[in-house]
Amino acid sequence: MSTFGSAPVLDRPATRLGDRLGSYLMIIPTADKALAAEGGDVVDPATETDAERTARFERDAMVFLDQLYGAALRMTRNPSDAEDLVQDTYVKAFASFHQFTPGTNLKAWLYRILTNSFINTYRKKQRQPQISGGDQIEDWQLARSEAHASDGLRIAEMEALDRMPDSAVTEAMNALSADFRLAVYLADVEGFSYKEIAEIMGTPIGTVMSRLNRGRNQLRAALSDYAREHGLGSRGASDD
Amino acid sequence: MTDRDCALALQRLYEFLDHEVADADADAIREHLDACEPCFDAYGLEEHIRSMVKRCCTAERAPETLRVRVTRVTTTVVVREL
Repeated sequence: MSTFGSAPVLDRPATRLGDRLGSYLMIIPTADKALAAEGGDVVDPATETDAERTARFERDAMVFLDQLYGAALRMTRNPSDAEDLVQDTYVKAFASFHQFTPGTNLKAWLYRILTNSFINTYRKKQRQPQISGGDQIEDWQLARSEAHASDGLRIAEMEALDRMPDSAVTEAMNALSADFRLAVYLADVEGFSYKEIAEIMGTPIGTVMSRLNRGRNQLRAALSDYAREHGLGSRGASDD
Repeated sequence: MTDRDCALALQRLYEFLDHEVADADADAIREHLDACEPCFDAYGLEEHIRSMVKRCCTAERAPETLRVRVTRVTTTVVVREL
């Protein structure tokens, strides 16, 4: 579906001041030509002035504010922390913006900074158990192949899903571990490809697939439980 | 159609809906879904859940206070040249 064109790779020694904040150089071929063309002329970051770069940042990066906030809210599960995380992300992104290769995927680049910031500060603060190592693909493949006979959600329960309040879905999302939640969010809400999610989360693609499958399976189990507990499962149940 | 076909189709359900399955494999899955109602239903339900998750999680808009804070990121750091 997503066709990756060959992106121009800019090999340039990174020597500017922002480097002390850490490198966020990431080459992601853009999956969306329109996005790349958005900026009009292809810019050479080596020759543009600070004022030009600031204007380019304001024009290209600020449009992702709502999306980044939405992601930050899912990550931190707390509006105040989400605001701090997004501000932190923009500070770092602006300081490293000369390292970003124009014409590549700016949205994925910003998400990577957001993810790194979250891991480095907020997750430590929240002391969440990190469930990542030992993701075995075989596990979910087995579980999935038995889905036909499972007690999970069935087609007849679509009505139950439609009656479910949004809060039930967001609560089920929030109940996932941070790694699973983020993978599901990046795929289902933002529509990133596995390759992009792997770059953003800094993991192999196999790990992304494992997290997605486990996260989605857990999410579906939680929604199924909710439907059962609230009597939403049966057809023709009285509406309240 | 065999149980094995169903198992394979369901095993790749997420990948298929994520548009991560190669064309030839995707065609084989589509062919199976045309012939197998339980698998077709499973795919339909999965797609429905996904659209729900997307709808519930995209409702957020950044608060105005944050918008102001983020706007300051570029204006406070850079010394204007003009």
